[in-house]
Amino acid sequence: MSLLKIEDLHKIYPNGTHALKGVSLSVEEGEFLVIIGLSGSGKSTLLRSINRLIEPTSGTIEFMGKNITHVHGRELRELKTKIGMVFQQFNLIKRRSVLANVITGKLGSLGTLQSILERFPDSVIEEAKKNLEIVGIPEKADLRADSLSGGQQQRVAIARSLMQNPKLLLADEPVASLDPATSNSVMQYFEKVNKEFGTTVICNLHFLSLVRRYATRVIALKQGEVIYEGQPEEIDEAWFKKIYGEEAEEVEIR
Amino acid sequence: MSKHKSIVDPHKIIKDRKDREEKVNLVKAALLDAFFVFYSIVVVQRAVYYKFWLELRELPFSWSEIGAFAILSLAAGALWASSRTSISARLFSIHKDNRITKYSVEIFGWFLFNITFIAGWMITRVSLVDLFTKEGIEGANRIFGSLLSPELGIFDEALFAIIETVYIALVATIVSIPLTLALSFLTARNLMKDNKVQAVVYYFFRVILNFIRSIEPLIWAIVFSVWVGIGPYAGMIALLVHTIASNAKLYSEAIESIEEGPVEAITATGANKFQVIWYAVVPQIVLPFLSFTIYRWDINVRMATIIGLVGGGGIGTMLMQYQGLAKWNEVGLIVIMIAVVVWIMDYVSAKIREAIY
Repeated sequence: MSLLKIEDLHKIYPNGTHALKGVSLSVEEGEFLVIIGLSGSGKSTLLRSINRLIEPTSGTIEFMGKNITHVHGRELRELKTKIGMVFQQFNLIKRRSVLANVITGKLGSLGTLQSILERFPDSVIEEAKKNLEIVGIPEKADLRADSLSGGQQQRVAIARSLMQNPKLLLADEPVASLDPATSNSVMQYFEKVNKEFGTTVICNLHFLSLVRRYATRVIALKQGEVIYEGQPEEIDEAWFKKIYGEEAEEVEIR
Repeated sequence: MSKHKSIVDPHKIIKDRKDREEKVNLVKAALLDAFFVFYSIVVVQRAVYYKFWLELRELPFSWSEIGAFAILSLAAGALWASSRTSISARLFSIHKDNRITKYSVEIFGWFLFNITFIAGWMITRVSLVDLFTKEGIEGANRIFGSLLSPELGIFDEALFAIIETVYIALVATIVSIPLTLALSFLTARNLMKDNKVQAVVYYFFRVILNFIRSIEPLIWAIVFSVWVGIGPYAGMIALLVHTIASNAKLYSEAIESIEEGPVEAITATGANKFQVIWYAVVPQIVLPFLSFTIYRWDINVRMATIIGLVGGGGIGTMLMQYQGLAKWNEVGLIVIMIAVVVWIMDYVSAKIREAIY
């Protein structure tokens, strides 16, 4: 049974933009699926439909064998606790400490009063520290989040998502605002999470060199439709031009 | 496992939405054009024709005439908007992109501006003659002269009164904080868009706060001086009510302009609404809230001086008494003291707000 199964998914935004036009795909457990495509091709919309940050217009999404297309309330929050998410802009709480930011990953399983009074069980604090060690920055725990570099902030975001012990980790262009060297090091943490903990990863990426290096499978979106599905090494010149347009040329980053 | 296949056709949704939007915009444009035409007819008739041309003192008025204008305007508006060359068609972006539209927008827009200015000139009875009458200038001389030679004998009395004023403002500001906080979350659009109940709560409080805010503290002071009796307490409540209404708007606007990223991230962890607000919203709004509140204290001191004029206590009440007795030297001292205190408050609050950021 697939971990995730999407069928004929459509999304129309209130302004009339038809962002997804009948996307179907399935993801097996343990995969590192990379989604590529131009800006505006629907990559972010697809990712946000999976953890239901946005409401799909039609179609179905099955996660762990359950139809989650229209779950709401407590059920929706429970779904979200099982799916971690990392964003292009890191989306940390800038004014709070790194440790506090990591702990927020656990909010879904903490009580409201407890979390507002910020009385966290020692086990949660320990777990947060352990996750900071996994992403290699345990010494930054007490610093303010916005005092860290971009790459470090993204690692904090990964640690935050690890607090959820996610079955699935979504990454929306996680390295798009980082320099090439930092990009590679951040991607290695996704690889580590994927290989060591067996967490399934779905990641939107721009650079093909990163795609070839980390993806176990690739899907390409163009104007809201899946136009390619296959192994990363099978994307040749012709496919590249088809995905990114005739004028595109591949740039290498290492 | 049961799967419900979707029967929604996305393309139809898009088309329906466009059609509906187009129709709604056309109706809006027709109504707005009708209003423009109606306004033009009335202003031209009354201000330009009756007042300026015929120089009538008493303007004739009849409801049946107004009614006839309204019907005429509605017809004209509907015709004009449906030709898609009107000013409103342009405003709602359903216009034909041609020369007729361009001219009708430019010429009619210029026409509306001019008749509005002429009407305004008539209504405010602008007169250079009144500014330079002999008696007028003598009166002004007398008052300015007295104000510039203040009576120091009432300094102690004025000092106590102005301290009372500052405290009225302070208490009103402090008491407003918790209530404003609660209301600002309930009137922030981005937090209240999840379901219908939230939308109802949002509009309910918005309407009430808008109503309260649109009534000046001076008028609230009149209401409360009847309710709780003349004095500082009435002034304080009047300020409090208005402070809550205006700051709730500022606060909720601050909430609406926060970065959405952290909200999205915390929501994605499966956190509930309270947790999202506490972790993703609150840290982003603490500083603006503090800044608004301090600024409001400064505004409240200024308002508290005015509120005294209608029985809200403090220095304003004192000012009113001496003004009533035409003791302009005493009034002079009070005005100077108000100016000094307001200036100090202004300076202090600006410094504190600078230090926060």
